[in-house]
Amino acid sequence: MTDDAQSRFAAAVLPHLDAAYNLARWLVRDAHDAQDVVQDALVRALRHFDGFRGGDPRPWLLAIVRNAAFAWLGARRPGDVEVPDDELDAALAVGAPPGDPESLAIRQAERRQIDAAIAALPIAFREALVLRELEELSYRDIARITDVPIGTVMSRLSRARQLLATALRSPT
Amino acid sequence: MNDDDLWLDALLDDELDAAASLALQRRLAAEPALQRRLAERRAVRDAVRGQATRHAAPDALRASLNAMLAARADPGAPVTREHGRRRAPSRLRVALPWASAIGGALVATLGTLLVVDPGALRWPRPDAMTSQQLAEASEAVSAHTRALLVDHPIEVASSDQHTVRPWLSARLNFVPPVVDLAAQGYPLLGARRDVLSGETAAALVYRHGAHMISVFVRPAEPGAAASAEATRVVRGFNVVERTQGGLAFCFVSDLNPKELLALADLLTPLAGK
Repeated sequence: MTDDAQSRFAAAVLPHLDAAYNLARWLVRDAHDAQDVVQDALVRALRHFDGFRGGDPRPWLLAIVRNAAFAWLGARRPGDVEVPDDELDAALAVGAPPGDPESLAIRQAERRQIDAAIAALPIAFREALVLRELEELSYRDIARITDVPIGTVMSRLSRARQLLATALRSPT
Repeated sequence: MNDDDLWLDALLDDELDAAASLALQRRLAAEPALQRRLAERRAVRDAVRGQATRHAAPDALRASLNAMLAARADPGAPVTREHGRRRAPSRLRVALPWASAIGGALVATLGTLLVVDPGALRWPRPDAMTSQQLAEASEAVSAHTRALLVDHPIEVASSDQHTVRPWLSARLNFVPPVVDLAAQGYPLLGARRDVLSGETAAALVYRHGAHMISVFVRPAEPGAAASAEATRVVRGFNVVERTQGGLAFCFVSDLNPKELLALADLLTPLAGK
């Protein structure tokens, strides 16, 4: 790798290392494992840097991190990435009609509760939510990163928020 | 979970175009229940954004990235193979920003052409859904309006069937007929993937005058009649469903039924060819 290509890679990737780690951390839900995933992703990113065609490097890097996390989970914790649809539907069946007191309860929820509620989301909902709320990516970027249609991103995000509302309304 | 939630979320996420946003704001002003729903979803969003932990990369990770780069920079490192490859895509790198700029301009132009019917946001509750077919037609209309509302009607913007067809066939397990019909008054704008009844469908996007047309294509159900057809009006949109050549087509638009059928007559005979 030439010095030039190396410095281009560093310039593209270094500013987004926190985002890469944050995504991996939320997907594999373990600090040590998340480091492994990001290292794996960085090796892949460096190898495929030729394929990066300029533009915003963040969605490009996050797509690689996301794929590395799914590969890592698929090999070690396959139960985490295979969530049957009917289970997702059952998760949505609970829930009370919304109202103002509930909104207040949600606003007063603590960091610990919120982190726990996000960590408990099925992975498809969790990744959409983290990419949207914590990384503030557009629907279009999220669709590219997670390789699903934009309509699916919208419904996953919506379901994620519904599940969180339910979880935070009745704190345990 | 219903379509209202999708729109409220799209409003919160600033993903609605101006017309759709205005229409939803008008509805919100009139419906306290919808306002409460929005307040709750905003509370969830604010709580997550304000409180959820953003995990910062540990120093060890930064150090290992730097070490990796240093190893790569070592002139003794066996990376010569990559030198030849890196030069090759330079033409692509120039061509792609152009393609996306043209795509962006096209979508922007569409935005001004589009007249989003505010009435579409004021749908009656789907009590009247009696058959699975009607439910599916309704779903197709939802997918069509959703695509218009969020201003993302197209994932691959091209009038070139040789661009759109491979893009779709790489992402689907069937190949829909893709043909530009500009000469007949129906220019092909591009395509996207969409989901109907839990299955991924191809959605071709055509224009006729100022009207946008979504054409959903899926493999036909095994038991479906070889050539079945239905025309209906769902929430103000015309829907033409037709099964031909092993594919189920669903045309959705605010275009009049006659001209919508004309497009169906042009496109469906190409199924399976």
